[in-house]
Amino acid sequence: MLKMHNLSKIYRTDEVETIALNNVNIEINSGEFVAIMGPSGCGKSTLLNIIGMLDNPSEGDYLFFDENVARYSEAKLANIRKRHIGFIFQSFNLIDELTVAENIELALLYHDIAASERRDRVAAVMDKVGIAHRAKHMPSQLSGGQQQRVAVARAVVGNQSMILADEPTGNLDSAHGQEVMEMLQGLNEEGTTIVMVTHSPAHADYARRTINLFDGQVVTENLRAA
Amino acid sequence: MFRNYFLTAWRHVFKNRLFSFINIFGLAVGLMSCMLIFLFVEDELSYDDWLPEGDRIVRLHSAFLSPDRPAFRTVSAPGFWMDAISAYAAADVETAVRLVRTNQTIIKDEKVFDERLVFADSTFFDIFKLPFVAGSAASAFSKPMDFIVSEEMALKYFGRIDVVGETLTVCCVQGQEVDVRVSGVIKDIPENSHLDIDFLVFLDPPMFDFAPNILKTWTSVNTLTYFKLKEGATVEGFKARVYDWLDRESPFRKMTADAGMDGQPSDFIRPNVMAVPDLHLHARPDAGNFGDMRPMGDIRFVYTFSAVAFLILAIACINFMNLSTARATQRAREVALRKVLGASRTQVALQFLGEAVMLSLIALMLGLMGVEMVLPAYNDVLGRSLEMTIATNGGLMALALGVAVLVGVIAGSYPALVLSRFAPARILKANKSSDAEGSGRLRMLLVVIQFAVSIGLAICTAVVYGQSMYAQKMDLGFETEGKIVMRNFTSAPIAEQRESIGRELAALPGVESVVFSSEVPTDDNENNTGFQLLSAAGDTSANTEERIINYFSVDFGFFEAYGIDPVAGRTFDRSRGNEVIEAALEDNSIRRSASVVINEMAARNLGFSNAADAVGRVLRAGVYRAGPYDLTIVGVVPDVHFRSIRFGKQPSVYFVQPTNMDVATVTYRTADLPSLVSAIGGTWRRVAPNVPMDMSFLNDMIAAQYADDVAQGTLFAAFSGLAILVACLGLYGLAHFTAERRTKEIGIRKVMGARTRDIVRLLVWQLSKPVVVANLIAWPVAWYLMVDWLQGFEYRLGHGYILVAAVVAGLVALLIAWGTVAGRAIRVASAKPIHALRYE
Ligand SMILES: Nc1ncnc2c1ncn2[C@@H]1O[C@H](COP(=O)(O)OP(=O)(O)O)[C@@H](O)[C@H]1O
Ligand SMILES: [Mg+2]
Repeated sequence: MLKMHNLSKIYRTDEVETIALNNVNIEINSGEFVAIMGPSGCGKSTLLNIIGMLDNPSEGDYLFFDENVARYSEAKLANIRKRHIGFIFQSFNLIDELTVAENIELALLYHDIAASERRDRVAAVMDKVGIAHRAKHMPSQLSGGQQQRVAVARAVVGNQSMILADEPTGNLDSAHGQEVMEMLQGLNEEGTTIVMVTHSPAHADYARRTINLFDGQVVTENLRAA
Repeated sequence: MFRNYFLTAWRHVFKNRLFSFINIFGLAVGLMSCMLIFLFVEDELSYDDWLPEGDRIVRLHSAFLSPDRPAFRTVSAPGFWMDAISAYAAADVETAVRLVRTNQTIIKDEKVFDERLVFADSTFFDIFKLPFVAGSAASAFSKPMDFIVSEEMALKYFGRIDVVGETLTVCCVQGQEVDVRVSGVIKDIPENSHLDIDFLVFLDPPMFDFAPNILKTWTSVNTLTYFKLKEGATVEGFKARVYDWLDRESPFRKMTADAGMDGQPSDFIRPNVMAVPDLHLHARPDAGNFGDMRPMGDIRFVYTFSAVAFLILAIACINFMNLSTARATQRAREVALRKVLGASRTQVALQFLGEAVMLSLIALMLGLMGVEMVLPAYNDVLGRSLEMTIATNGGLMALALGVAVLVGVIAGSYPALVLSRFAPARILKANKSSDAEGSGRLRMLLVVIQFAVSIGLAICTAVVYGQSMYAQKMDLGFETEGKIVMRNFTSAPIAEQRESIGRELAALPGVESVVFSSEVPTDDNENNTGFQLLSAAGDTSANTEERIINYFSVDFGFFEAYGIDPVAGRTFDRSRGNEVIEAALEDNSIRRSASVVINEMAARNLGFSNAADAVGRVLRAGVYRAGPYDLTIVGVVPDVHFRSIRFGKQPSVYFVQPTNMDVATVTYRTADLPSLVSAIGGTWRRVAPNVPMDMSFLNDMIAAQYADDVAQGTLFAAFSGLAILVACLGLYGLAHFTAERRTKEIGIRKVMGARTRDIVRLLVWQLSKPVVVANLIAWPVAWYLMVDWLQGFEYRLGHGYILVAAVVAGLVALLIAWGTVAGRAIRVASAKPIHALRYE
């Protein structure tokens, strides 16, 4: 599904130059569940953001379905992004001024989908993640676990083929973290590709493959026996 | 500690340069506009306030009503009223004075100047206690031809002030050149006075025996008449007595009775009394708003202008508060930290107050500098010499300081009170700025108000400006281009040579015609006399009642020169006999005949629905300085706007009376105007070296009539432009703030696939909404105000124009708002979403 070749990301500010990613080569196939691990500041989020096309790499190639998107403009990236990729963030990133249902609908709003169909799909996905009874609530009225469930719902409502999750359980207690992991597992079993950053070895165990990063470089890749 | 606050404040100002600039600049512009307007308003309100016991001085106006023509309203009163009323109302009147103004030539060392002399009764200085520079009222104003000059005139003629005993030559008193001795010098009368006197001459009533119309004839209204009331007497009480006198004692009583007129004299003659300090600004009931020594003001303009000042200041203050509070909510973290470190609520509150007040004081300083910079141009437009100094305007400055501090305090108190109350833990944990929903809504409401005011001002400006253009561009009914008006044909030596000068001027290359008349367009003079229409059979018995109609004396060729074609009959024809009204005969019982041309309104007024029917009919009249005449109507001309369009058109009669034509209209067609002008000057100096030449271009004279309107329109436009500028600055700041506050939301939407244009649309729409709502408020209000305002004009724009102005102003406001917001929105919307989310 995607392939990275000699990919680097360098942040330049006035004084410092940070090499966030250094010659990364990875390949992820459709239907995989990949965990990315590593100490804080090693470049996990940077990698995930580039996979998710929220940012461009500084060097190297990034083939997404055999299309090299490394130098694509924001507008072009946005177009691919919205068709294929769903996001889940550590801090949920829900819009405070919108209700749960409206937050989920957001993922369909910028596609050409009729309002009635949007409503149906939002209702269906809310049922699936078990927050239908909270549809009219504001994010601030929900617990962290519930908020992350809304975020998961939002990530999948558009039938995205890949979900990128950056420490999705980082802000949750273990019970709620467990819940979210099970949801992700369920989605993966239905065929969705999942790439997840986590600090928790237990949660990494849900993945079939773990990529370990250190100082912007891939140090090891472990495959879990099926 | 104070140092720390001060440093934080400064850093904050610099770190948020844009906000600081908008805040300070906007408030500075607001304060500047306000101070400028205040200076003008203060000056307007101060007219004649400086006159000692001014509130006891009143002026007598008179209006003459006639059922069949517009009323003749004047700020003067017949000359003989003063003594009669003083005697009748002795209980109210302490003393009284009449002023008679005449234009004279003053000759000094071969140089000639056109000056206005004011003749005044001996009581003048009992009423107007003007300070003397040389001499005193007792020594300088006690006998006929005592001659007082102003300081300015002393300097102009003698180059020094102490000029008592010096001589000037005046041309002409009773047709004679006379040498007069300066008897005293008064201080220049301040500009803020309705009085404008450079030369004051002792009035000895027998002096005017040669011109009985000035002081004695009741139908002639030429003197400004002032009464000083006794202490305790009221204007209303005195006015009632004047009416008593009119109906019980005055000669009009007998006249109305003799004429068999229905009713009392006061049904036809309406005197009115006004306190002198009110003269400058207040509408004169039953009196014209012309005929004054200085142009009068308009209290409505003062109100409007004050309102505009208030609105601009309000807009600027709203900005200041809006942006300050918007910014402050983003500083919740700073506040929380300070509190964690032990700052008390009061300390935090004081910090915010101090910061806001500091900004508003900077704004005040810039505003004061702005006033200094703009004042010369402002004075130019207004024709004033306003000044702003601590000595004379201390009050205004203190007021401005008060306003600035108040605005600072109000703007600072929201963050001071709200933020200082926050529980620090909550803010630090939430790790985000806290902006209550309610304050956002309040902010939008304030933006709505700002834009409603700006749009309303813009609409009003467009209508005021449009009306003044309309007035200037209106077809007056005659040709105004290529005409030079020359006066000063009254003086004795010139009057005799009038015809020959006319012929000489007409012979100059480029001159098409020279015609004389008693008045030219824009002249505010009005002559009326009674005309009686004789029966169609031409019998000489008076069979209709007399009608008072306005008349003009015009030359042969006058209508042709002004491009006025008759609608029936013909104009005057030199080749025919019996056209001209000759000079008076010894025996004034002999009735002679001549021709007249009347206008369409006069024809209707005389009862002709068809203008052509009037041709051939005869009007009987006693012509001033000529005697009884039967005047055959030879033609009817269209109604033209002879005077300013504010006066409207009137029924008019035109005849040729060579003894009553002292203005020349020179019609020219030349590519070389400067040579023509110098040729005219040369001719004049050769023929009349002792008479100053007075020439002006007719279109300048017409434009000058609208100068006040244009000045008002210009100021109105300038100030509403400033209001709109300040409102837009505010909107820009708010757009910036909104975009910043919604960064996270924008980031999320973009991750969800929103395109740049989706985001831009979202932001632009959010910020357009208040402008749209503002339009809905501004339109009806402006409509209502402007419909009412236009009502005051005889000839006015259609109401459709207001609608167009409203739509255009609304669209422009929206476009400006979009322009302001869009750049910001595009910047934010096209950024990579990860920046937005990462720094959340
Ligand atoms: N926008 C940025 N500008 C500058 N440096 C950045 C930026 N984003 C990340 N970095 C730096 O790049 C490195 C990797 O960051 P990140 O990918 O967020 O690490 P992780 O998610 O593994 O904790 C860090 O040193 C971080 O400080
Ligand atoms: Mg990270």
